[in-house]
Amino acid sequence: MNPTELERRALSAVSAAATSDELERARVEYLGRKSELKLALRQVRDRETGMTLNALRERLERAIAEREAELERAELDRRLAEERVDVTMPGEPVPRGHLHLITQIRREVEDIFLGLGYTVVDGREVETTHYNFDALNFPPGHPSRSPLMTLFLDEETVLRTETSPSQIRTMEAQEPPVYMVSLGRVYRRDTPDATHTPIFHQVEGLAVDEGITLGDLLGTLDYLLKALFGEDRSTDFRIHHFPFTEPSVEAYVSCHLCDGSGCTVCRHSGWIEVGGSGMVDPNLFDVVGYDKERYTGFAFGWGLERIAVLRHGIPDLRELWRNDPRLLEQF
Amino acid sequence: MRAPLSWLREYVTVDASTEELARRLSVSALEVDRIIDVGVADIDGNLDRFLVGRVLEVVPHPNADRLRVCQVDVGEGDARQIVCGAWNFDAGATVAVALPGALLPTLDVPLDERELRGRLSRGMILAEDEVGLGPDHAGIMLLPDTLEPGTPLVDVLPIREQVLDVTPTINRVDLLSMVGLAREVAALLDGELHPPEPEDPEVVDREPVEVVVEDPEGCPRYIGRVFRDVSVGPSPQWLRSRLHLAGMRSISNVVDVTNYVMLVYGSPLHAFDRSKLSGGRIVVRRARPGEALRTLDGVLRELDPRDLLITDGEQPVALAAIMGGEESEVGTETTEVLLEAANFEPLGILRSSERHALRTEGSNRWEKGVDPHLAEPAAVLASRLIVDLSGARLTGHVDVHSGLPERPVVRFRPTRASRLIGMEVAEAEQRALLTRFGFDVSPEWEVTVPTWRARDVTREVDVIEEVARAVLDRVPHTMPLRRHVRGRLTKEQRLRRVVEDVLVGAGLSEAYTWSLVASDPRPDAIRLPDPMSADQAVLRTTIVPGLVAAARTALDVGADAVRLFEIARVYLPSGERLPEERWRVAGVVRGGYATVKGVLETLYGALHLELRVERGEHPLLHPGKAAVTAAGWLGELHPTLLEGTWGAFELDLADLFAAVPERVVYEDVLTYPAVRQDIAVVVDEEVEVGALVDAAREAGGTLVREARVFDVYRGEQVGTGQKSVAIHLAFQSPERTLTDEEAAELRERIVAALAERFGARLRS
Ligand SMILES: [Zn+2]
Repeated sequence: MNPTELERRALSAVSAAATSDELERARVEYLGRKSELKLALRQVRDRETGMTLNALRERLERAIAEREAELERAELDRRLAEERVDVTMPGEPVPRGHLHLITQIRREVEDIFLGLGYTVVDGREVETTHYNFDALNFPPGHPSRSPLMTLFLDEETVLRTETSPSQIRTMEAQEPPVYMVSLGRVYRRDTPDATHTPIFHQVEGLAVDEGITLGDLLGTLDYLLKALFGEDRSTDFRIHHFPFTEPSVEAYVSCHLCDGSGCTVCRHSGWIEVGGSGMVDPNLFDVVGYDKERYTGFAFGWGLERIAVLRHGIPDLRELWRNDPRLLEQF
Repeated sequence: MRAPLSWLREYVTVDASTEELARRLSVSALEVDRIIDVGVADIDGNLDRFLVGRVLEVVPHPNADRLRVCQVDVGEGDARQIVCGAWNFDAGATVAVALPGALLPTLDVPLDERELRGRLSRGMILAEDEVGLGPDHAGIMLLPDTLEPGTPLVDVLPIREQVLDVTPTINRVDLLSMVGLAREVAALLDGELHPPEPEDPEVVDREPVEVVVEDPEGCPRYIGRVFRDVSVGPSPQWLRSRLHLAGMRSISNVVDVTNYVMLVYGSPLHAFDRSKLSGGRIVVRRARPGEALRTLDGVLRELDPRDLLITDGEQPVALAAIMGGEESEVGTETTEVLLEAANFEPLGILRSSERHALRTEGSNRWEKGVDPHLAEPAAVLASRLIVDLSGARLTGHVDVHSGLPERPVVRFRPTRASRLIGMEVAEAEQRALLTRFGFDVSPEWEVTVPTWRARDVTREVDVIEEVARAVLDRVPHTMPLRRHVRGRLTKEQRLRRVVEDVLVGAGLSEAYTWSLVASDPRPDAIRLPDPMSADQAVLRTTIVPGLVAAARTALDVGADAVRLFEIARVYLPSGERLPEERWRVAGVVRGGYATVKGVLETLYGALHLELRVERGEHPLLHPGKAAVTAAGWLGELHPTLLEGTWGAFELDLADLFAAVPERVVYEDVLTYPAVRQDIAVVVDEEVEVGALVDAAREAGGTLVREARVFDVYRGEQVGTGQKSVAIHLAFQSPERTLTDEEAAELRERIVAALAERFGARLRS
């Protein structure tokens, strides 16, 4: 037997094998029990021939293993090529819930103010007229005190008409400085229409410290408005009047639909009114026992539904309370 | 309020466009809702085509009964022939003429020279509605005969007008007047103010005017003036036009004067037909029980003893400050007028106005607190106009008051203003601003408030507001220094978010439902005494009914896999003034008991809590499929509530969160392997699998790492009334590897305990 010749023939047979069957036949022929090589190995008498033939056997075994891997790989490639799917077919559904849009905005506002170092306060919804009106400096005869505008439980108890009672309760509970926001439901005797529901949500903000200025209020609201409506918006502030702030300021943001040039959403003014704010009236500090010479503060109270309908273009605010999944699942 | 610009600019000279003016006012004074364009267009010399004309000759149209042919001098030398359909004038009348080419707001195309029934018409004699100056089309406008033909009409009448539609805040009743607005414009835009300075007519043939104010608190001032020889008729065109542009209707010269002067000064007036005042005098008092008054709107009103009345000494003749009586109304027959220029206390007027559900231009001002000093200039201007327009004589005057209020004096620190605003405003500028707003500022900064702001400005901070609003546009945007802030959510707030997120992850969508409901399972739930509707009458003590309604909405629009939750307050009667408000989480999910329990197991797991339930009952639940937990309840919804099979739960969040560990402490489950064993025991059907698991844990002690039911089998092999419960057990020690012997012993102890407690037989 000529090892060189044998090796040439064997390697050629291995590389010619196109299937695993053919490869197996080649293996049996060249490395099987009755193969020329195995027979020769059994008859080896001298060390040198033994080493030569064993080396040959190892080389053949390696060649077969390599060829086998090649064939397997080719087989896998072929199978994978046949296993195509229509990648545009839908996936298996995984149940997915949705946070209500108002909750999403509530969290957004909370996170904005947490980032600024404010705390979040949970106020209460049923309030005494003391916290809802008197302590907030509502004069006698203010329209909000009328049962035509407010839901009374009895003469001295109301469903809060704004989140502002949380200002008084927070200040009563702690010394300055105060940096807090409070979000929740408020109640008004409003006939439901596209822009009113008798129950809606507000965010109240309050900052009381030494040296708080009107500029701080405007800067904070400018930051909030741009965070909510986009950095490219402009903001505008105009004088207003509220019982619990002096001076009072109404905040506006440039209309996102017409970019300020005028459309029906902004009533052709280019501006959208977002909500009220102002410098805390010193009478409130008297109520809670803060030193009104030493401390100043600002506060604001905005409607979350209003932010939602303005920002997302929802034509009718009542839809946010109708729980139609077709609407809830858009957000 | 609607403020025509031509009127406003009569009282203030300012170098600013209407838009600039509106912008400045809206930032620093009051809300400008919009600018309304009225009248004829100011393009391509259109205004030049509107002229004053004098009618020289009027003859009937030969071919048309309803038309006349007029020769009109419009200052061109030759007269113009104009065919006209109006009959309220004759030769010599001074009229308003539009020339051919004129663009009229009521026409789509320019006016044309044209033949009307064979006669050429070279223009049009104008009625007020054709140029936006009024609603009337019955006749053409008649102008004062002193006007020269050819005078541009725009110099005489506001045919080209812009009207500011403004809404002052409740504290700025002074801005519900043309003079107030003009003063604000002058101050904010550095204009020159020239308010009307009418000359009071002389009193002739003086007669006494008897006015008795029995309630000086309700009526701190009452000026009564008497006029004789009054000739009531239509108002001149300028007056009609101004009222129209201001949004009011022209009624008659005398009534129009009262409305006009109210718009000028913001202090409402009223005119009575004096001959109808049977007592011949004025007595201001509260109503008496049983009294009634038919007001100008024709409504007979039962009066409340709290209502303030103007009476004639016998009968009520006006609901004070709100509306006059029909009986004493000024009409065409009226020849004697008693003019009321008074002042009324706001709160009582507001209450009366609410009681009678009657709001008028007058009450809208009085309820905000009108400056009592204004009664006098209002009386003077009204007298001047009544005398001038109705040919009347002023014959009597009385002014009843017990001293007018002093102007408040406020100590003011300009440095404090700059500090609060957050910007250095020069002292000279502050002084100039305050002065322009009508404040008197002493060299020592003692600030005396003008009478028209006396109710609103009483403290230093109120004066600071005056400076702040004027410079609002310039205030720099800054952030508070926040040297001591510690902003983070509380544990409960963080966990609320976890609950929201876990439920959303479990496929539930969040709903928002009303906290006011039609009815509540708890009979003592708080009920509103005067709800808006029967649907929103009770403060809920449970959220699930709202979610049931929301689920029905979802079904109605075709959703099928409905899974809803809500986190909200409930309002539990507490025996105190205020109810106990508790945060709850509730859910309604399509599927049975196992579905809802699966949701809660996921939720509890996420909170590191074990969900332990006991059989329970709840009015909203299927009686056989109801369970309670330490924090609330869960179960299958009672089938009468919603068609199909539904699970529901409601948990009190404070109770739920109370057991949530502050932090999870590491337990060694890695070092030594667990030994796992399954057992199946046969027990009576009534035995709850939870009890088996509890007993297994108890018997096995701390080495039981897991004990969980994974199968329940009923059938012939276990016999009727029995079930086979398969329990997966895992034993593990944090200190060593348990031997097979130890595991076998634990297993035997458990099997023995189950046999003893529940008669459980081990299935092979
Ligand atoms: Zn717009």
